[in-house]
Amino acid sequence: MSNIEIGLASFPVLIGLIFLRVPIGLSMLLVGLGGLYFVTGGWNVAFARLKSETYSTFSSYSLSIVPMFLLMGQFATLGGMSTALFKAAEAWLGHRKGGVAMSAVGACAGFGAICGSSLATAATMGQVALPELRRYGYSGGFSTATLAAGGTLGILIPPSVILVIYAILTEQNIAKLFLAAFIPGILAAIGYMLTISVYVRMNPGSAGVRPPMPYAERFAALFKVWPVLLVFLLVVLGIYLGWFTPTEGAAVGALGTGLIALFNGGLNRVTLSESFLSTARSTAMIFFIVLGAAFYNGFLALTQVPQELAGWVDNLGYSPWVILTIILLLYLVFGCVMDSLSMILLTIPIFFPIISVLDFGLTPEETAIWFGIIVLIVVEVGLITPPVGMNLFVINSMDRNTPMIETYKAVMYFVASDIVRVIILIAFPVITVGLLRVLH
Amino acid sequence: MHRLMNGLARYMALLGGFVLLALIVLTCVSVLGRGINTFLHSDLGAGLLGGMARTLLDTGVGPILGDFELVEAGVAFAIFAFIPFCQITNGHATVDIFTSKLGVSANRFIQMVVEIVFAVVLILIAERLYDGMMSKMRYGETTFLLQFPIWWAYAVSLSAAVLAALVGVYMAVVRTAEFFTGRMIIAPAGGADH
Amino acid sequence: QEVTLKLHQFLPAQANVPTLILDVWADKIEAESDGRIKIDRFPAMQLGGRPPELIDQAIDGVADIIWTVAGYTPGRFPQAEVFELPFLMTNAEATSRAYWEFAEANMLDTDYKDFKTIAVWVHGPGLIHSKSPITDVSDLNGVKLRAPTRTTTMLFSELGATPVGMPVPAISESLSKGVIDAAVIPWEVTAALKVSELVENHTEFGDASLYTTAFIFAMNQDKYDALPDDLKEVIDANSGADTSAWAGKTMASADAGARQIAVDRGNNIITLSDEQVAEWREAAAGVEAKWAEEMTGRGFDGPALVEQAKDLIAKHTE
Ligand code: NA
Ligand code: NA
Repeated sequence: MSNIEIGLASFPVLIGLIFLRVPIGLSMLLVGLGGLYFVTGGWNVAFARLKSETYSTFSSYSLSIVPMFLLMGQFATLGGMSTALFKAAEAWLGHRKGGVAMSAVGACAGFGAICGSSLATAATMGQVALPELRRYGYSGGFSTATLAAGGTLGILIPPSVILVIYAILTEQNIAKLFLAAFIPGILAAIGYMLTISVYVRMNPGSAGVRPPMPYAERFAALFKVWPVLLVFLLVVLGIYLGWFTPTEGAAVGALGTGLIALFNGGLNRVTLSESFLSTARSTAMIFFIVLGAAFYNGFLALTQVPQELAGWVDNLGYSPWVILTIILLLYLVFGCVMDSLSMILLTIPIFFPIISVLDFGLTPEETAIWFGIIVLIVVEVGLITPPVGMNLFVINSMDRNTPMIETYKAVMYFVASDIVRVIILIAFPVITVGLLRVLH
Repeated sequence: MHRLMNGLARYMALLGGFVLLALIVLTCVSVLGRGINTFLHSDLGAGLLGGMARTLLDTGVGPILGDFELVEAGVAFAIFAFIPFCQITNGHATVDIFTSKLGVSANRFIQMVVEIVFAVVLILIAERLYDGMMSKMRYGETTFLLQFPIWWAYAVSLSAAVLAALVGVYMAVVRTAEFFTGRMIIAPAGGADH
Repeated sequence: QEVTLKLHQFLPAQANVPTLILDVWADKIEAESDGRIKIDRFPAMQLGGRPPELIDQAIDGVADIIWTVAGYTPGRFPQAEVFELPFLMTNAEATSRAYWEFAEANMLDTDYKDFKTIAVWVHGPGLIHSKSPITDVSDLNGVKLRAPTRTTTMLFSELGATPVGMPVPAISESLSKGVIDAAVIPWEVTAALKVSELVENHTEFGDASLYTTAFIFAMNQDKYDALPDDLKEVIDANSGADTSAWAGKTMASADAGARQIAVDRGNNIITLSDEQVAEWREAAAGVEAKWAEEMTGRGFDGPALVEQAKDLIAKHTE
């Protein structure tokens, strides 16, 4: 077999292992090591790489931002920020038609601004908002679907772990990517709220009503979200305005939320241990995938498959827009069965070289950033598309009375809203890169 | 046995958590030091504090030397330290859409094979890390600014990697026992959060 | 072809060193071997790992040929640092030739024994790129700067600046954000990092050179040994003193274009007078002595190494 053939053969093997429930990081590592064996004709190269690459992958300064952001999300919950956000949103929106669900989305957006992860956002806001939704007569499927979709705002609104990984893979500026994600993230929140108002009109009886609150109470509730605002401004603006590097920003944010939690009485010996353990589990999972991807991508580069593939796509002579659409459709299909981080790590080294040479009427940097944001959205759709959508699982498991199928049905409305948004962002790149152009 | 392994994995993860927290504090102190240093050197700082600015600067207030290297070495240990806990709590990301259609014993068989392979890989990782450490020691490599030997950082990470391998072997034994006895010992909780 | 070699390095394919040196060298090997050697090029660490791992990749055969910075693995190639001492280099061509002869005399059988050294070279004179003008040593007081090598870090801390550690790609972002106020790099690197757009002052040292960086261009020993004799000859014909001198000269030649960018932008290019440079040299003498002492502590004859390097550089500088 030629190297290219070995490289191509690795795709079905990898997918096969993943579908056999071999952990994704382990699958990539195994195929990467095995592939190196076949290409180089022995284990020497594979084993030599293993000598220093586990350490060098785990000791990356830029990636150290990941556990810091995860811990920050934990501390934010302990500090009562998730509850404060939901109460404030509910005070202002709760009395509208579908208002409690809209409040949940609003609170998710707020929490997304201080949390870098979708599942953490979904799980946190689920604990706060799910009982409230059910209490005001929102149907099980609608409630769980709303929170699953709202959870994706954790990644879509900066800071975002996935964007950090994308920035590192494509050598883009993290601060600029965060900035570019901002308006699409807000659009996502607005889109979800519109979806809710459409849903309650098409499915009357899926939502109850809640009396409006007096303005004094509304302002009181709003005032309680100041720590969230403070942390967000400190971290995201601090990174952007150059008070510190992204990793330093994550450290400042984590310490800040930790101190707020400490003063609010949410942080003690027990909760600190719990937040460490939760951070430990997610961090180990993420870095094992990063490690596996490093080996798999190194092996693929050696087979020259990415270069050949890029050349082949180039020779097809399709318009850049057709190629982009095909790639995004692939993400949607893969997203039905895979998680977002693995998809990014697995595909960006293959797709990015293809996209970066296409002409979309943008500068190379703008193309990279715009593509990153759109890919971020489509992989996040994967978190809520049946059958495998991590957010759906997490939220559905919190509500034992709601069958999965109910959640599946209701979430399709939100998926539709995501797709509409992707089309808008593709048609008008200026929505994504406009803020960058103004500020640079 | 399970209590012992679980306890070890837990304590290792907590240790990693404390190291992570220490790195966060270190980074913040360094940012603060750099900020104060810049302020004291600025015209504003000199204007407000006069001679005090000079005195403060002479105390050496500034970013922590080698903060960058300490974060790199520390976070590597933290991540290695997190792996045993992830392993023993089935925290790795998997896709079970197809296997969920298979029967219990087929799933147990798959679990057994996966955990055995995983154990082998974790042992390999620890063994290779040891080899890497020896090579760093042999060549006398140090970090850039603090110039402490890199093998120290490898050695600390290695201790966690060895525990990860140990936990990996333990999980492989558990899943093998489950397959052959048909009894569930540790719930195969799936899913991951990130 | 008979042999395919993997050339791995850390810069993107379109950077100066790959296009002007590594690709040219590889094309020449392919041509002179009548296509019997093919060299696959893997830029930007495509084969995996981080830049400090390149040298081990060449030793272990993960890659067949690599280009790396000797200082990426501090402590491992201590003798190469002699060429990085402040104000030691003259021009890149002569200093690269001297570096090769020095390596032949002292290192090929010791520090560099685990790989086949194809060439060694240094880049053009490094200089200071800063937000506020720096002419006197006292202007360095409190300046947060990214120093490129261990010895320049020693120098700048001694001179009152605050060295901040970070990888090269982080320079642009850190400069634009005020995380650092100055960066010390040769002109050639400033174009890719857009340094001339981020700072307005550049301090040159006249005929003297503040510092340089030692590079290693190496091949896996087994891979070389396994070549048939006539192919070994092709590699040998493109190795050694001349190749090193050519690479150093070529790399330094890329300085002019990057300098022109700063000139065209109307940046302030400060050229220090001999008297001003003398002040810097005086401060740097301490670093040289300290380095020699450190080397003596490691079992080398520190002062002799410095003398030998200086003599070789003088010999090749017309
Ligand atoms: Na976020
Ligand atoms: Na999905």
